[in-house]
Amino acid sequence: MDDGTTLWDEFKKGVITENALLKLMVGLCSALAVSNRLENGIFMGIAATFVLVCSNILIALIRERIPYQIRIPIFIIIIASFVTVVDLVMKAYVPVVYERLGVWIPLIVVNCMILARAEGYASKNSVAYAAVDGLGIGVGYTLVLLVMGFVRELLGTGKIILFEKTIVSLGPFNPPLIFVMFPGAFLTFGIMMALLNRYESRKKQ
Amino acid sequence: MMSRVVRFGLTLMVVGLVAAVCLGLTYSVTRDRIAEQEELREAKACMEAMPGVKEAGELEEDRELEKKAREHIPDVEKIFTCDSGVIIILKVKGYGGPIRMAVGIGEDGAVKGISIISQNETPGLGANVEKEEFLGQFIGKTPADQLKVGESVQGITGATITSKAATKEVREALQAFEEIKGLE
Repeated sequence: MDDGTTLWDEFKKGVITENALLKLMVGLCSALAVSNRLENGIFMGIAATFVLVCSNILIALIRERIPYQIRIPIFIIIIASFVTVVDLVMKAYVPVVYERLGVWIPLIVVNCMILARAEGYASKNSVAYAAVDGLGIGVGYTLVLLVMGFVRELLGTGKIILFEKTIVSLGPFNPPLIFVMFPGAFLTFGIMMALLNRYESRKKQ
Repeated sequence: MMSRVVRFGLTLMVVGLVAAVCLGLTYSVTRDRIAEQEELREAKACMEAMPGVKEAGELEEDRELEKKAREHIPDVEKIFTCDSGVIIILKVKGYGGPIRMAVGIGEDGAVKGISIISQNETPGLGANVEKEEFLGQFIGKTPADQLKVGESVQGITGATITSKAATKEVREALQAFEEIKGLE
């Protein structure tokens, strides 16, 4: 881009000011569903970030050759292909997590966060900017998943299990299960959004 | 007009072809590894379900028995035989998706051990199905025990659907064993 924004600004934009989940509120469905464990957040985040960065780069590379009228089907084919690659690789190397994430991995194809970046950003910008934009959005998405996963797993089960090891434990008590169930996702997410908005409005004053 | 349609069609075809080739390559690279992982997990579960079996080599999949058992119990996926009995792998729908388990049944028709291969139940509730407190109560049960949650089986608090699904699996494994008994 020639309007003076640096790559760093683009990255920061994806993580904070235009955070896909907390600000743009896209890609929520998968985030609410898988964030009941920290480990899920790690792998889901990596998978989505990989697809975002790869599809952004590829689309930026061929953006001048894509006929405008059929750009959407082409974007979908590109995104779906990267998702399938992630799907197969995860099935081969992290089968336990793959099984747990279940349908949410193939559903990255229809995550509007990714198509929106392809259509709204990568098809109009240079490769470097598109890559950084994808990375920023992906890291922003991953961070939110990690915080949500940590809070929900810790409060809802009383401990955090990572790679089959208990890394944090609150000791013996009866944890409020609601946090690992669906209402817990909305509660945690709502509070995170409120905190971020409060922080930003404070900063403005 | 026509030429534009043809051009778009060809462009899409090229994109589709390139994508297909890339996916084919990825598939061929990961295929063996996926099959290997799957076998490894099954073998591990079988060994847990049948105390005494120390190596995967002692197990043998019996496709004839599988076919026979599936006629009566469609939830049966695989059957392995070993010196001390059979191990039946089943899949039943739980609360958050299928629950796959391996049930080891000894020569005497009693449950020797149970191991969950995969499940996607609610953490803290249904996921407790993997715990010894729940699975342990099935050890030694025979078809005569009429397994039922709330009666002969103590369910998991807050996870009725999961408990029922798991109990149904053990019950079906015992029924399948009855069907194939004597055929090994």
